[in-house]
Amino acid sequence: MRKVVPGVLGSFAHIDAAAEAIRTLRAQGHRDLTVYSACAQHEIEAALEQKVSPVRVFTLIGGVIGCASGLAMTFWMSLDWPLLVGGKPIATVPPYVVIMFELTVLFGSLITVAAVAGLSLLKPTTGMAYDESFTDDKIGVFVACRPDLQAAVEKILSGAGSVEVRRAA
Amino acid sequence: MATTLYEPPATQTHAEVTRDVLATLQAPGRGYYYLLGGALFALSIGLVTFIILLKDGLGHAGYNPPVMWSVYITTFVFWVGIGHAGTLISAILFLFRSPWRTAVYRSTEAMTVFAVMTAGLFPIIHIGRQWVFYWLIPYPNQRYIWPNFKSPLIWDVFAISTYLTVSTTFLVFGLVPDVAAVRDKVRGWRKKVYGMMSFGWKGTDQQWRHYSRAYLYLAAMATPLVLSVHSTVSWDFAMGLVPGWHGTIFAPYFVAGAIYSGVGMVFTLVIPLRKVLHLEHMITDYHFDNLAKLTLLVGTILFYSYSMEYFVSWYSGNTFEQTTYFRRAFGPQWWGGWTMIICNALLSQLLWFKKIRTNLTSLFVLSIFINIGMWFERWVIIESSLSNEFNPWAWGILNPTWADWGILIGSFGWFSMYFLLFFKTFPIVAIQEIKETIPMPRRREAH
Amino acid sequence: MSDETPKTIDRRKFLTVVGVTGAGAVALSGCSTERVEKLVPYLVQSEDQVPGIPVYYASTCTECAAGCGLHVKTREARAIKLEGNPEHPVNAGTLCARGQAGLQGLYNPDRLAGPMQKDGLGWKSISWDDAIALLASKLAAAGGKVAVLSGAGRGTFDDLLGDWTRGLGGTVVRYQPFDHEPLRLAHQKVFGVDQLPYHDFARAKHIVSFGADFLETWLAPTEQQRGFAESHGFASGTAARHVFIGPRMSLTGMNADEWQAVTPGSEAVLALGMANVILAERSGAPADANGLRATLAPYTPEKAGQAAGIQPAVVQRLAREFASAKPSLAVAGGVNGQHREALELCAAVDLLNYVAGNVGQTVVFGADLAHGDGYAAVEALFARMDQGQVAVALVHEANPLYALPKAGNFAARFAKVPFKVSTALWLDETADACDLILPNLHALERWDDLRPRAGVTGLLQPAMEPVFAGRHTGDVLLQVSKKLGGALGKLSAAPDFKTHLEEAWAQVARKRGHPDAVGFWRDALQHGGLYDPRPTQSVRLAPGARSVSAKGATLDGDGAYVLLPAAGSMLSDGRGANRPWLLEMSDPVTKITWNSWVEVHPDTAQALDVREGEILRLTSPHGTIDAPVYVYAGVIPGALSVPLGWGHTTFGRYASGRGVNALDLIGATDGNGYLPYLSTRVSAVKTGAYRQVAKTEGSNRQLGRGIADAMPLAAARQGLTLKEAYAAAGHPEPHDNPANEVKAIEGFRESVLKKQEHGGYAEAHPKWGMVVDLDKCTGCSACVTACYAENNIPTVGEDDILKGREMTWMRIERYYEGGSDGEPLETRFVPMLCQQCDNAPCEPVCPVYASYHTVDGLNGQVYNRCVGTRYCSNNCPFKVRYFNWYAYAKRAFPEPLNWQLNPDVTVRARGVMEKCTFCVQRIRGAQHEALRQGRALKDGDVVTACQQACPSGAIVFGDVKDPASKVVHAAAASSRGYHVFDELNVRSSITYLAKVTRPVEG
Repeated sequence: MRKVVPGVLGSFAHIDAAAEAIRTLRAQGHRDLTVYSACAQHEIEAALEQKVSPVRVFTLIGGVIGCASGLAMTFWMSLDWPLLVGGKPIATVPPYVVIMFELTVLFGSLITVAAVAGLSLLKPTTGMAYDESFTDDKIGVFVACRPDLQAAVEKILSGAGSVEVRRAA
Repeated sequence: MATTLYEPPATQTHAEVTRDVLATLQAPGRGYYYLLGGALFALSIGLVTFIILLKDGLGHAGYNPPVMWSVYITTFVFWVGIGHAGTLISAILFLFRSPWRTAVYRSTEAMTVFAVMTAGLFPIIHIGRQWVFYWLIPYPNQRYIWPNFKSPLIWDVFAISTYLTVSTTFLVFGLVPDVAAVRDKVRGWRKKVYGMMSFGWKGTDQQWRHYSRAYLYLAAMATPLVLSVHSTVSWDFAMGLVPGWHGTIFAPYFVAGAIYSGVGMVFTLVIPLRKVLHLEHMITDYHFDNLAKLTLLVGTILFYSYSMEYFVSWYSGNTFEQTTYFRRAFGPQWWGGWTMIICNALLSQLLWFKKIRTNLTSLFVLSIFINIGMWFERWVIIESSLSNEFNPWAWGILNPTWADWGILIGSFGWFSMYFLLFFKTFPIVAIQEIKETIPMPRRREAH
Repeated sequence: MSDETPKTIDRRKFLTVVGVTGAGAVALSGCSTERVEKLVPYLVQSEDQVPGIPVYYASTCTECAAGCGLHVKTREARAIKLEGNPEHPVNAGTLCARGQAGLQGLYNPDRLAGPMQKDGLGWKSISWDDAIALLASKLAAAGGKVAVLSGAGRGTFDDLLGDWTRGLGGTVVRYQPFDHEPLRLAHQKVFGVDQLPYHDFARAKHIVSFGADFLETWLAPTEQQRGFAESHGFASGTAARHVFIGPRMSLTGMNADEWQAVTPGSEAVLALGMANVILAERSGAPADANGLRATLAPYTPEKAGQAAGIQPAVVQRLAREFASAKPSLAVAGGVNGQHREALELCAAVDLLNYVAGNVGQTVVFGADLAHGDGYAAVEALFARMDQGQVAVALVHEANPLYALPKAGNFAARFAKVPFKVSTALWLDETADACDLILPNLHALERWDDLRPRAGVTGLLQPAMEPVFAGRHTGDVLLQVSKKLGGALGKLSAAPDFKTHLEEAWAQVARKRGHPDAVGFWRDALQHGGLYDPRPTQSVRLAPGARSVSAKGATLDGDGAYVLLPAAGSMLSDGRGANRPWLLEMSDPVTKITWNSWVEVHPDTAQALDVREGEILRLTSPHGTIDAPVYVYAGVIPGALSVPLGWGHTTFGRYASGRGVNALDLIGATDGNGYLPYLSTRVSAVKTGAYRQVAKTEGSNRQLGRGIADAMPLAAARQGLTLKEAYAAAGHPEPHDNPANEVKAIEGFRESVLKKQEHGGYAEAHPKWGMVVDLDKCTGCSACVTACYAENNIPTVGEDDILKGREMTWMRIERYYEGGSDGEPLETRFVPMLCQQCDNAPCEPVCPVYASYHTVDGLNGQVYNRCVGTRYCSNNCPFKVRYFNWYAYAKRAFPEPLNWQLNPDVTVRARGVMEKCTFCVQRIRGAQHEALRQGRALKDGDVVTACQQACPSGAIVFGDVKDPASKVVHAAAASSRGYHVFDELNVRSSITYLAKVTRPVEG
């Protein structure tokens, strides 16, 4: 029996209604909002005043790691087993640039994806009220709050034009 | 300015989008199974051929020294090339914010992944001792022997494997919200399966916040990758001193060729797909028109490259180069050279006409020629360059055999199998991105 | 092990040991005919069998009458390679392709396992005792009606055979297919001496060959090639001129500076014409030559020219050039020119040599080269068989039923002999027609001796235990005579032939006043025989000389084309036809492998509307053959040439049914004492059938790419470099990079060299290099065979050669120059092997370092690291890397051919790239040896297989860092040096010395 997060879930058919609801809630001091939507909605982001995701930092780190490991691997392996080919230097940068580049991209991408997974875990959605229509055509706004505040929240949501409001005990 | 170009698809509401796209996942008809069966049969032909090659040696294939590479490498480059259109459309056009990509990018991305998966087999099939292909990978071993990073073939190993990984990641990443959408519509065991595949996606604001950002950077990573991978493939040739390979023009020339062939394959796949899956209102003439313009662009670049190759070989005054290009056009296998020039350089110019750009039949027919032409381009680059190199005594003509065609057929089977399975399992049109392009209903008109 | 006997490694010492314990070695060596499944160490370590160390046995080659000296290289008591005996006067350490292929006779998979008796149409094997008993009984019943046909050369065995047959009251006919009867008969006519003289090519300053292929099958090819290289090769100074006169340009003709394509059969008239000119102009003819005036007078330049189809002026020029060079040498005879006037031709050439004062100078009598009894005797023998005067016939080392034309009906006549015995090692045409086969031991398995010419006696000793259960025919003779008893029983006291041989040599020792017979024998054994100075005998004109006359040879039939049967330098008279090496070895002239062909002049081809590979049907009064066309400008328009030696009906898996036998077209009529090969006209019809010829050539034109480069004699004499020579001639130099480019490259290279000094590359090592003198190379392909033998190169067969998959690590590229619009056809040979480039294009492209640069500058190839991407081959400008498409080694060496494999060299698996590495196994061997002896490696320690075999001495190998080395000298001594594809800056380690062309002056 997994624990249910107490709160109120309102679902909206209209984007401006959802945005308005969010603004009102935030104005009234409700900070713990979770907004479901079928696709990224700039209006919602604006209403939530989201900051830019830090994911790009991880992309950078990944890229740097990749590039460095490419350089290290090629040079170490060449010098560890020095064999002369085609009268070229034993270890030399130009041909190794390709390897370095590929590893930059590889690590960059993989670490970016890993970052998304990790960052999403920071705010788990388990136990939050959810409705399947949110991946279809509705926008859901879940307000986590003590049962005694739920009445007020319901009022705001339906006031903003929620098509359906539901309590999560 | 992208917005000015943009006409919204005929579908009006988000609900309809979900409905229409999910409709494509309904149980397939008999025709689908025929196709799948055909693909599997082709694949089995390839498998049998490969087993024979493993048993006896590469001798069965039509290798005629000095032509030491032949149909396998040709087909390898062909498939890698196909792959590029996908990433181009999904990543580069994403960065350029050209909205017309949304309707087609999922299918092209899938095409990319499967094409690269197919291509990846060929270097293994074509080497003399297939069972030790892993020696090309710098894996730790107690003997401390490593691969030669100066070899373009090692660059290739890195480029192709990176490309496969990244494009797969990109595809899966883009699929997550859509799979979630499917999950929320289906029932029973399928719900469980899609549930697992959606990685607990609920579309919360936080998820979207990181997701859209990450998608942007993935695109930013994939973009140079597209350009680099086929450049690397081109260096597999250009790093050699073989007349006909040893050209600085090769990297851009190959990238253009790759995109050309890729878009060609997109037409070949998407035009029928659109019909079968009734996506006419989502993938419209408008999309094909734009794709065709892209084809025209790269086709023209190819035209230029071909002309340059011939011009430079003549202008260089280098007898080896001159002989190679003369024999490419008038040698014993002249037909290859001309097929490539007609199908790629000349036929692409037809796309100047809007009639042809917007007529699906003509586009489909053209796309077939494009595929053929691009396969021949690689064939010509390999055959006509190797068969008459520096030492006239060692000249020889390439004659492919059943073993070559067997593997070629098999590769098409392998590719088609994956593609067929894919579009009946996953949304072939990116639901969430389409939705982004459709404004949600508002209570009051926006002011 | 080797430390206990430090000196045994030295080859000479080894021979000593071997000489002493020769027999013992063979007895002890643990080598059997069963496949060895396990590696078992010797229980009793024989003192000369050090595992991993080769043992060399001196022996003698029996592949042709020349009798070259051999060193048989054995490893763990198995012969693995045949090399020339440096002490032997005939071949002086070199060995031709055919000689080396003797090994594939020893290990031939089609050798008979034991005695066989005809059983109905098939054969059943019987025991040796029964076989000998059977033979004895038949002989006893024969009542003297015994005939022996023997191809064995002169020697102790031959003597024994003679005595034995005489003891039986029978007769011996000594038989050689290419027997040079015309030459011998001519000498008898002109000088009254019935012998084959010695021709000193080395001393000749001007050589004229009237169709004599002295580089292929004529007399002693290796010796003649060595002499030719010495006199003709520019390096040695003389730079003799070589004129070839004949309707077809054979390999010898290709090596001529001038080819006079004359009407077939007209050579004699031409020779007389030349002699006439010389005599008339009194250019140094001996006094008694005046007696010839009357004889020669009728042959005016006009008449000679008209007969031969050349300008009278040319006749005079040829004559003057010939006379002015002193000494010069004219040679004639040989199969290619053996027409009905061959005798007159040889006689005419004798006169020519005589009036030019060459007799006694370059034509030396007294050597008395070995020969058979001639075709007349063979004819007579078969006539007697026909008349039923032969009850028992013994055929030894001969295959007349193949080598004599079908028209002669020899098979039917042979069949009339009630009991026919053969000693053949394999089921050849004659053996197949016999009733009993008593397989002899192979020459490398038996005791024997040979006298190829006066003053040279070569010894044969077993190099290993017999591969199959054959028995020495000498032993058979002795055993039979013992059985028969009587006078014959006293033939020899010796229990076996070896003892008999030793006794014979003991007599020789006694004759020479040598006190210690055993020591004498051992000494001879160690050195491979006895070599005395060549006896000379001065000759004068015999009365017959005055009666020499010629009018042009007559031909049978009325076909449109003259048939020119050509003696091939690989298959020779056909005895080589079951040796994969010789079949895969592309013919030096046409570069065709594995099948016969018909050479057609381009104009003729146009007239007949045939292209290469289209099958022509040739019909003569005597027969018909079908053969694929090879278009060749080296044969005159009026003639078609077909190679001899092909078209065996039985003989073995490789030879049977392969190609067609040109002899089927010629008549058997005795052209007074010899078989006139060139004696028929044929008609040619296009059949419409097609059979692609398996050539190893891609393009036979080098398109001015300077691969086989050359400069005129004048330029070479002035010591001009190629660049200067081209400038002087007003041509652009083929490989030429702009100076600034070269400078830039140099600068770059300096900077790179520093960055290469890691690990072993930082230390001092030799740098191996090679010099190939194209003015000495005759394209004979001995080096190629040597390479096959040394490096376990598999033969791939006709089908794969058609796909261009031959594995010739070393190949001879044959390029044509001119030949069209009036220009003379010039041929250039260039031995092409891995150039071991410093900037090797093949190395950097290998993803796994299978191809890399060794510290001593070799372009190493690590077979067990190679994954087979084949990029290295694509990137090799010389195309000298070879890919193993199937498990070739498995197909190429059926038991026991695989016994010949060299244990020092990997037998490559399928799917890897193979290539020449300058015989790296020999290099390392020499280095280890030097190390073990605690000395530095010295020049000449390392000899590559190709260098060792080359009869011309065209290849020099060594350390280019050693200023004293021969290779450095060879390169420095000549201005003709160049690198192929130098403009690619691959920095190859092989310097070619440009061929020197000698255009016709005036």
